[in-house]
Order: sequence, then structure tokens, then C-alpha cells
Amino acid sequence: MKNEDKDLTRRKTIGWILRAGIGAVIAAIVVKTSRRSSGGRLVWQIDPRKCIQCGKCETACVLQQSAVKCVHGIQMCGYCKLCFGYFKPDAPRLDEAAENQICPTGALIRKFIEPPYFEYTVDEDLCTGCGLCVKGCTNFGNGSLYLQVRHDICVNCNACRIAEVCPSDAFVQVPENDPYLLKELLPRET
Amino acid sequence: MRSNILENCMLNIGYWILAAVAMAAPLTLTAASRFPQPEFDSGYVAHKMPHPAPDFAVTPMMDILILVVALCIAVVLVRKVRSRNWILFFGLICLGWFGFIRNGCFCPIGTIQNVALSLFTGVRLPLVMGLFFAVPLIFSLLSGRVFCSVICPLGALQELFIVKPLRMPKSLDATLRIIPLIVLSVGIVCAVNGAGFIICRTDPFVGIFRQSAALPMLLTGMGVLLVGTVVARPYCRYFCPYGVLLEICSLISWKQVELTSNECINCRLCVGMCPVDAIEAPRPALSDKVRGRQFKQFLYLLVFLPIIILAGAGVGHLAGAGVAQLHPGVMLVEKWQSVEEHDEDLFPSIEAFKRSGGTIEQAKMQAAEIVGRFREGCMYSGVFIGLILGLRLLVLSKLQGRKVHQASRSRCVACGRCFSVCPNK
Ligand code: SF4
Ligand code: SF4
Ligand code: SF4
Ligand code: SF4
Repeated sequence: MKNEDKDLTRRKTIGWILRAGIGAVIAAIVVKTSRRSSGGRLVWQIDPRKCIQCGKCETACVLQQSAVKCVHGIQMCGYCKLCFGYFKPDAPRLDEAAENQICPTGALIRKFIEPPYFEYTVDEDLCTGCGLCVKGCTNFGNGSLYLQVRHDICVNCNACRIAEVCPSDAFVQVPENDPYLLKELLPRET
Repeated sequence: MRSNILENCMLNIGYWILAAVAMAAPLTLTAASRFPQPEFDSGYVAHKMPHPAPDFAVTPMMDILILVVALCIAVVLVRKVRSRNWILFFGLICLGWFGFIRNGCFCPIGTIQNVALSLFTGVRLPLVMGLFFAVPLIFSLLSGRVFCSVICPLGALQELFIVKPLRMPKSLDATLRIIPLIVLSVGIVCAVNGAGFIICRTDPFVGIFRQSAALPMLLTGMGVLLVGTVVARPYCRYFCPYGVLLEICSLISWKQVELTSNECINCRLCVGMCPVDAIEAPRPALSDKVRGRQFKQFLYLLVFLPIIILAGAGVGHLAGAGVAQLHPGVMLVEKWQSVEEHDEDLFPSIEAFKRSGGTIEQAKMQAAEIVGRFREGCMYSGVFIGLILGLRLLVLSKLQGRKVHQASRSRCVACGRCFSVCPNK
């Protein structure tokens, strides 16, 4: 009986040593990884300066309607009559008819302000995030149209599917309390 | 008609002249001002777009608190209340919260990758993620895999689809149980070396929780649930990488799931109830002779262990090149080599690489370096898998007898089905 008791205490001690060991390892991992932590959570965002408008944002998102949409940094806009984000290069006319527009869904709204200026706004319900307008505006215009992850739609996947396929590494993680990378407010170089 | 064509012509010419001028303007200097911002006479004021904030259900600290409280309740249900119905009921609540409201993302299973990434590369990791990884493990050090019983949304969902669980043949079970080890180690290698989070990508149910997914993913999820009607919890047993960690913790846990709070009378009723074959029957204490033989076997295996580990390392090293194909840098080179030069611009990855000033030679060098890193990582994975397999083999040469039925520390997921059938509860 004595012997068995001893055996039991020995087993118990070994058990606690093992447990303490593994527990310490887990705790050490948490401490080490959280040292550089910002406290809050991180969310995904597109750095518009890196995006090459490859079109994957429209199709790769895990949501059926992509969480990425076009936004307009209107402070940068030239209010051009001939908008490179709005009109197809071979547009028959410079008016709002669908066949003239780059946007396949008509999500870019063109409104006359005063001669010769026009205002462009994005109808987010229609925009699919294809980036066609962004490509035109970035390559030939002021680059005031750009893509952003819209946080009313994005479900913040741990691994953003678009980030994994983005060819230009434009997806970054930003703090949840500053969740956009608005091009008009960013320094020009990355 | 005529004027139409003319206008058309002029328009296009105008477009291209403008475009040429715009292109000629150096992008880096004047990107924001190819066309100056106008001043308006009509009193027009531009309205800026609103940018909605992320919509998290709770603050990070609240998130953790809910997890801890839920785990505590689960412990009480499994150890004190001991009622399958309560466990099921609480499981539904948890499924609603952790699954459908929190979207099942991020979950402790996925945070393996975030934690590994942060450990090996120094990327910052929000504390809440580190805790989501650690807290369930700590709980399983204390009282077994209660996390799996109700909290894990993947487990809770599969739990609902168990209809007629079949016994898995021992050898098949042992073979399939290698998969989680591979998923865990390869998942870490991929995450650390920049090939993305494959553990997240292979989560079959997250699309169901988000209620929005591509069809293949949805079908896979449903397929797994369907298989789950006869092979209980297939993802948990034969895929889940976090389960490997929980198992290790649970093997040395302080308390374990008890089949009865009384004395086991060896009626064997519970054995038929367990959906995951987790109930270990009694076995006689060995006679001295058999014991000696078993011990010899044990020693042989012990000598054999380094060989298994070495073999694992070798296989890992070989497989590394294959796993590296998941890395975008390696895919890029493959694509680049296979396309004609004039088609290169059709591929965004090539375009992006070229724009950043890279050539195909550089891409090749990078890819070679990546493959090297994958080989190394997979070699360590092989060592890890070999070690665990060896240990599993060692455990097979049982030396000690057992008088009563017991829930396996590693396999039992604390679903509570056996509690109610025990006549001596
Ligand atoms: S995937 Fe990347 S490069 Fe392509 S459109 Fe989206 S952000 Fe831009
Ligand atoms: S062209 Fe594409 S990105 Fe631009 S507004 Fe239309 S749908 Fe959105
Ligand atoms: S985090 Fe998920 S929902 Fe958000 S943009 Fe990426 S893939 Fe889409
Ligand atoms: S084994 Fe994995 S998937 Fe299953 S309940 Fe446990 S943590 Fe969840």
C-alpha cells in the first residue's frame, strides 16, 4: 500500500511538472507574439499606390459580392469633361449613354456642375470592384478613383483571399480604428 | 450622320492626344495633378464619400471574455451537470455566437498560423488572437478537450449531423490520423514562408458560417457534413490541426472526462454510444512473461524511433519542393517560363513583377531560394510527424493493465453521449 501511494504521488508530481512546462510554453508564445501588438484588431485594406488593377479584387473575395469597391478621392479629381475612368477610349460620344462608359455596371455617375466641369461619384450598390475605371483614371487621369475594401461589407477573414492572390502585394493589414488608406491623404511614395 | 462620324473621329483623336500627354507626364511627380483641380463659380461644394467603420460585434476584450466564460460553462456542463441535453443546448448557443455571429473567423484553428507567422517573422499579432490560440489549450491542459465539445463552431456543426456513426477500422483510423499532423506542420511552413494560410483555405465550413461562399467550397462543406452522418466528426478526427495540439495538452491534463461520477461496473453500454471510438475497454494486467516481451518490443521501438524521425526528415525534404508550388513566387516563375514573350502582359503577376523592376532571372533566383526554405521547413515537419508517429507506436505496446472503462484522453471530445446511458451514474 505504502508503495502504491508513493507511486501515485510521483505520478502526480510528474503530471504537474509536464503541465506547468506546456503551460509555460503557451504563455511564453502569447507574451512573445503580443509584445509588438497594437492591442486592437487588424483589418485588411488596399494600398492604392501598389494596386495595378488586375481585376482579381472583383472575383477573388470570399463573399459573392466583393467587399472591394471603387472609391473617389474627390479632392484629387480634375472634374474632367473627358474622364479617362468614365469613357471608353473608343466611345462614340461624350455623353452618359451606356455604350460610352467603361464601367460595365454603370456604377460611375457623371453629373454636370458648370462648364466645363463634371462631377463623378460611385454608386456603391452597383460597383463590383472590377477596377476598370481605376485603371483608366490611374494611367491617364489624376488617379482619384481607386479601390478600397469597404468595411461595411468585408467580414475580415483571417486570411483575406484577395490578399493571397493579389499580384502586387497591395493588401496590407491596418488597425481597426484607422481602417482606410485614402489615396488623397497618403504620401505619394510607398 | 456625317457630323457624327467627324465628331467621333475628333473625339478619339482628342482622347489619344490627351492620353499621350497624360502618359508623358512623369507619374511619380505629378500623379495627383495631371489635370489641375478647378475652382468653381457656381458655389459647388464637393461632398466626400463616407467610409464606414468595420462592424465588429464586440470589442477584443469582450471577445476573449466571452470565450473564457463559454469554456467555463462547458467545463461545468461536462464535469458537474453531466447531461447530454444541456451540452447540446449550450452547443447550439455557442454555434450561433462563434459560428454565425462571429462568422467562425478568426477561430483558434486558424490562429495557429498567425501565431507561427508572428513567432518566426516578427509580424505583429493582436493580443486577442494570441489569446484565442492559447486559452482553449490551457483549458484542455486542465480538463481535456472541452473546447471541442461545444465551443468550436466546426465541431458543434458536425456534432449536429452525426446520425449513425460507424466504427472505423483500426488501421484505417491510424492512417487517417496522420493527416492532421501533415496539415498542422505544412500549414505552419506555408504561413511562415509566405504561401498563405492553407488551414483557413481548407476550412470546409466557414462559407456556411459567412452564408456566402463560392459553390465548390459550399459543396465541400456539405460533403463533409454528409460523410459526418456515418463517420462522426470527420474534420475533427482526420483533418483538424488544432486538434493535434489539443490532444497533446489533453494527454497530460489535470482532469479528464469521466464516464461516470460513480464506479464503472463494466457494463459496456457506453462503448456503443461513443461516436468517435473514444472509450477504452479494460485490459488485463499482463503476466510477467508477456510483460517482459512487451517491454522488449518497447525497447526495440525506442531504438527504432530515430530511424522513423530520420525517414520523416527525408520525406519532408523531398516533399518540400512540391509544397513550395503553393507559393506565389514559385508559381510566377512557372507561368513566366511557360508563356510567350508577347503574352507576358496578360498575366498580372508577371506585370506586377516587371513593374517593380524585376527580371525573369531575379524571379528564378527568388523562387530557388523559396524552394530551399520550403525544403528546410518540410524537413522539420517530417521530424515532427515522425516523432509523433513514433510516440503513437510506442503507446501501442501497453504495459499497464486497466480495470474499468475509460474515456481516451486524446480522442474524447466531451460530447456527453455516454453520460446518460451509464446505469450507475
Ligand atoms: S488584387 Fe491587388 S492589384 Fe488586383 S485589383 Fe485588387 S488590389 Fe489591385
Ligand atoms: S468600373 Fe468597376 S470599379 Fe469602377 S465603378 Fe464600375 S464596377 Fe466599380
Ligand atoms: S477579408 Fe474576406 S471579405 Fe474582406 S475583402 Fe478579403 S476576402 Fe473579401
Ligand atoms: S477537433 Fe478541431 S474542429 Fe473539431 S471541435 Fe476540436 S478544434 Fe474544432
